Amino acid sequence: MRTLFRTWLRTLVVQASWNYDRMLGVGSAYASIPLLRGLPKERHRGAMARATQFFNAHPYMAGMEVGAVARAEYEGLPDEQIRRMRHALIGPLGSVGDRLIWAGVLPAAVGVGLTVTVLASPLAGVLCFLVLYNLAHFAVRGWALRAGWRGGHSVARELTARGVQIGLKILGPIAAFSVGLALPVVADWLASDFQTRLRFSIASIAVLGVVLSRWIVPSFGGLRFGLVVAAFGLLAGWLW
Amino acid sequence: MENWVWLLLWGTVVGLDLVSVGQVMFARPLVAGTVAGMIVGDPVAGGTVGVVLELFALDVMPVGAVRYPDYGIGAVAAAATAAGAPGALGTGVAVCVGLGVAYLGEVGIRVVRSRNTEDVRRNRAALEEGDESVVIATHLRGLLRDTLRSVAVTAAGLLLAAAAYRWSPITVRGAVLVTIVLVGAAIGAAAAGGMRLSGRGLALRWFGLGLAAGVVLVVML
Repeated sequence: MRTLFRTWLRTLVVQASWNYDRMLGVGSAYASIPLLRGLPKERHRGAMARATQFFNAHPYMAGMEVGAVARAEYEGLPDEQIRRMRHALIGPLGSVGDRLIWAGVLPAAVGVGLTVTVLASPLAGVLCFLVLYNLAHFAVRGWALRAGWRGGHSVARELTARGVQIGLKILGPIAAFSVGLALPVVADWLASDFQTRLRFSIASIAVLGVVLSRWIVPSFGGLRFGLVVAAFGLLAGWLW
Repeated sequence: MENWVWLLLWGTVVGLDLVSVGQVMFARPLVAGTVAGMIVGDPVAGGTVGVVLELFALDVMPVGAVRYPDYGIGAVAAAATAAGAPGALGTGVAVCVGLGVAYLGEVGIRVVRSRNTEDVRRNRAALEEGDESVVIATHLRGLLRDTLRSVAVTAAGLLLAAAAYRWSPITVRGAVLVTIVLVGAAIGAAAAGGMRLSGRGLALRWFGLGLAAGVVLVVML
C-alpha cells in the first residue's frame, strides 16, 4: 500500500521531463520506480528499459499505464507483449482523459468558479473552483493507478467501467452548460463600469472575435487574437 | 511592488503547476491572479485581471503536444500591474502585460521541451539499458529546467509590470479604450472556446441553454 502511495506521489510529476522524443516515457518510468524495485534484480533492468520507451497519455491517466505495466512485469509477461500493451494504451488513455478532464471537469469547474467570483467574491470563486476540480482530479488519479495495478494486462476493461462511461456521457453537456451560464454573467460584470455606447463596442469586438476564431482563422487561438487586439488597442490608446 | 519576493515565489509555483508538478490548477489565471492580487493587497484588481485572462484561457484545450500559453504567470504579472489603479484604468494595460507574459511562458515551454529532448537523446544508451539512476537524473533535470523557466518568466513579467506601472505613455482615455477592446476580445475568445468545446451535438444545445440561463440570471440580478 505504501509502495502504491509512493508511486501515486510520483505520478504527480509525471510530465516534468516531457520531451519530443519519448513524450511521457521517462516520466512514466520515474513514476514506476517504487513498484518495479520489488522485481528480482535480473528482471529489474529490463523492466526499467521497457518503461522508458515512448509513451503518451493524459497525465492523470498515466498512473493506469504505470500500474498495469508493473503488474504485467510481476506476472512475467514476455517483453513483446508488454511493449504492445503500452502502445495499445496510448490512444484510449489520452482520449478518455482528455474527454473526462480537459473537456469535462475543467471547463465545468471554471464556469462555476467564474460565476461564483461575480456573484460572491474572487476568493469564493477561487475556492469553489479549486475544491470542485481537485475532488475529481485526485479521485481520477487514484482510481487510474489502482485500476492499472488491479487490471494488469487486461486493464483496458477498466475503461469500460460504468462510472467512466457515465462520466463521458454527462460531463461534456455539464461543462458546456457551465461555460454558457458563466459567459453572460461575467460579460455583464466586466462591462458594468461602462456606459451603454461603450458596452455596445465591447459586444461588437466580442462578436468579431467569435467570427474570426471560429470561422475565418480557427488556428489563430485566443492568445494570438488577444495579442493583436492588445497591440492595436495600445497604439490607438497612445495616439488618441 | 515591495512584495516582489512573494510574487516571484507564487509565479514559480504557478509556472510549475502548469505542466510539471501536480496540475492542481494554481496555474489557472483566475486562481493565479486572485492570489497575486491578495499578495499585493488588491484582491479585486487581481481577481478582475484573472477573470479576463481566464476568458482567454477558456479557448485553450491542452491536449497532446499542444502549445500552452502560460496564462498563470501572465495573471501574476497582470495583477502586479493592476494593483492600486482605479477600476477600468488599470485592467486593460495589465491584461496587455498578462498576454505578453503568457506568450513568453509558451516560448519558454518549447525551449524546455527541446532541451529535455536533447537530454534524452544524449542519454539514450543508458535509458535503453534501464539504468535507474539515469532515469531519475534525466527526470529531475527536466524538473529543474521548468523551475528555471518559471523563475525567469515570472521575473521578466514583474519587470514588465514595473515598467508598465511607471512609464506607461497611455492617457486615461487611452487606458479606457485598451480595457474596452481587451474585455471584448476576451469575451469573444471565451465564446469561441465554449462553442469549440461543445462541438455540434447535444453539448452545443446545453451551451445554448447555459447562455439563456445566464442572460436570465443577469436580468434578474
